[in-house]
Amino acid sequence: MLDVSRVQKELAECNRDTAISGVSIALHDGGSDLSRLSGTISGPVATPYEGGTFQIDIRLPSGYPFEPPKMQFVTKVWHPNISSQNGAICLDILKDQWSPALTLKTALLSLQALLSAPEPDDPQDAVVAQQYLRDHQTFMATARYWTEAFARRSSVGIEEKVQKLVEMGFPEDLVRSTLESVNGDENQALEMLCSS
Amino acid sequence: MDDDDYYFDESDGEYGGSSYSLEEDHGDDLNDLLVEEPIEKIWTTASVISAESLLAAQKEVLQNVMSLLLINEQQARSLLIYYRWNVQKVYDSFERKGKEPLFQEAGVVISDDRDLDILGSSTAVITCNVCFEDVAVLDATKMDCGHLFCNDCWTQNFIIRIKDGERTIRCMDTKCNAICDDVIIRNLVSRKDPCLAERFERFLLESYVEDNDNIKWCPSNPHCGNAIRVDGSNVFEVECICGFQFCFNCSLEAHSPCSCQMWKLWVQKCGDESGNTDWIIVNTKPCPKCKKLVEKNGGCNLVRCRCDQHFCWLCGGACGAEHTWSTIAGHTCNSFTQEKEMNFLAVKQRLQRYMHYFNRYMTHADSLKKENTLNENIQRKISESENKNSVIKDYSWVLDGSRQLLRSRRVLKYTYPLAFYVFGDELFKDKMTPEEKEIKQHLFEDLQQQLETNVERLSMYIEKDFYDFNDEQVMELKYQVVNLNRVVNKFCGQMYKYIEDDLLEPMKHAVHRIAPYSSGGPNMLLQPSSSSGNSGDS
Ligand SMILES: [Zn+2]
Ligand SMILES: [Zn+2]
Ligand SMILES: [Zn+2]
Ligand SMILES: [Zn+2]
Ligand SMILES: [Zn+2]
Ligand SMILES: [Zn+2]
Ligand SMILES: [Zn+2]
Repeated sequence: MLDVSRVQKELAECNRDTAISGVSIALHDGGSDLSRLSGTISGPVATPYEGGTFQIDIRLPSGYPFEPPKMQFVTKVWHPNISSQNGAICLDILKDQWSPALTLKTALLSLQALLSAPEPDDPQDAVVAQQYLRDHQTFMATARYWTEAFARRSSVGIEEKVQKLVEMGFPEDLVRSTLESVNGDENQALEMLCSS
Repeated sequence: MDDDDYYFDESDGEYGGSSYSLEEDHGDDLNDLLVEEPIEKIWTTASVISAESLLAAQKEVLQNVMSLLLINEQQARSLLIYYRWNVQKVYDSFERKGKEPLFQEAGVVISDDRDLDILGSSTAVITCNVCFEDVAVLDATKMDCGHLFCNDCWTQNFIIRIKDGERTIRCMDTKCNAICDDVIIRNLVSRKDPCLAERFERFLLESYVEDNDNIKWCPSNPHCGNAIRVDGSNVFEVECICGFQFCFNCSLEAHSPCSCQMWKLWVQKCGDESGNTDWIIVNTKPCPKCKKLVEKNGGCNLVRCRCDQHFCWLCGGACGAEHTWSTIAGHTCNSFTQEKEMNFLAVKQRLQRYMHYFNRYMTHADSLKKENTLNENIQRKISESENKNSVIKDYSWVLDGSRQLLRSRRVLKYTYPLAFYVFGDELFKDKMTPEEKEIKQHLFEDLQQQLETNVERLSMYIEKDFYDFNDEQVMELKYQVVNLNRVVNKFCGQMYKYIEDDLLEPMKHAVHRIAPYSSGGPNMLLQPSSSSGNSGDS
């Protein structure tokens, strides 16, 4: 029932301009099941998430795209609308505001926007939301610390990055050498690979 | 007790003797006893909508809105579903906000040009924004909101939404609030799944009942197919034409003068759970050896489990078999502390209180069953009497009396759960001072007891095999039945009034409003005439 053709097109479309958008999608664990994907978004600049790379688990229900995708942060993140316990996300377009004309990429971009502009009035994590409203400094510090501790690029294994780039269609040898030349910066490597 | 005792007032002694008139009218004095007190202030009306008249009833409301706002049926339906079929609300919103916001809020789109301008040629191709495929415009559909997607995507979306039970399906475009035209939905879906298209059509028809605060399905089981419309107060009891009497508010059997909440709690309690837990605590104890619950059957405090273990009933401790009535050899009950005993006594008291009300409730429930059977056979008795060689041909008073008997028996039955909650701690803890409670409970029980006495008398007379009676005996019986009918009716009215004004009203608990008393019982509904349909404009 899952619209395989649409999902494939979405993957190709999304990964075409990853360097600019800062979001990418790959098959989960390099498998072949199109209903289990893994999204990546880079932390927006001028936020405590800057410099972080956030991994998102994506599950597509059989009714996709007529039913919303299920998304959850795998990378731990300190944010009022994201559970600090399990990464569950509170975002309207992943619930009743989903439309079949939206895509996984737009959803990931919305998550990126959510990182830039938290909505503490509609919190997923009450503790974080309280802190965000009452003690903003501590909030910023904690969010930055969590980004450092859990979402630094270097903390993502090199093999995972290689696999991801290979899945995007680049030859493995080239991927390895490019990654090495940029000290493992995935986005920079991708940029180089695309422009070469 | 002699025959005079059932009057609720000593002053009407003249009716107690044998010098009564046999006229239909028993005189003004008797009527004076029946000063009708207005109990319910909200004027409530009810009617039946049969399965056949459902469509007509819905059409009438649709027609109203269509002609007022100059829109088509699909648009009117979307609007009405949004406003829960409350035409008055549609009108109010229309006056207050104006046409455009009214439509927009409900997701109704009025487009003047439905011609698909981009479809210049039949060979044109568009890209569907859901499947990302290029499709011929002939295989795509544009909704009133102007959004165009391929038919496959529309259809798949509709199928998923209908299977989810949705009656209003929104456009697939992002941020578009528009509701899709149900004609288009049915057409597209029926090409792929005709059964589902039919289900959707049924959904739309049933929306008139299910999305409507004034209409409910009759809860009879098996379902009679009828829906009931009530205008006014929801706390209202009706009798569907199928004979099922129910409370419109909670859709359970008619239960006044018990409130909906009390009745729900009582049904739960009787269906074991808490009542039973107390019974188990009071009447059983686990065997210290095999842990099975052992029930005590009177006798001394030494009990024996089936596993042959003896133990002391007071403390539950294991012991030998040797004992007297008051002592067990080699056993001293020292673990049975004061605190435990107090606890146990509290549970025991609670259980006894519940059993008191439950037993009386069940007694009346049993009588009601018997009297129902009696009522079913009464027509046969009447026919037999009518065929007798007698001047008395009118037996309607027996039917009236029997119906009143059932009505009052029901009232009595439900006064027990009511009293259980009103004078207990579960719902109304500390709502009354102990003195106040004592006075009110006394007055209530007095009323209850008088009603009970007269209901039992009426029952006794209704039960009589009057076809064997001579004319004089029949007339005597008629007098008793007519008289008791009125007396019992009056007591029921007083009972409701007392419950409403003196028991429930001071609690300031709006949730405990009860359906008004009417002597005929729950509002008996009539077969709807096929032509009149059902007025829905309120
Ligand atoms: Zn399509
Ligand atoms: Zn639209
Ligand atoms: Zn019915
Ligand atoms: Zn009720
Ligand atoms: Zn045992
Ligand atoms: Zn004994
Ligand atoms: Zn003992």
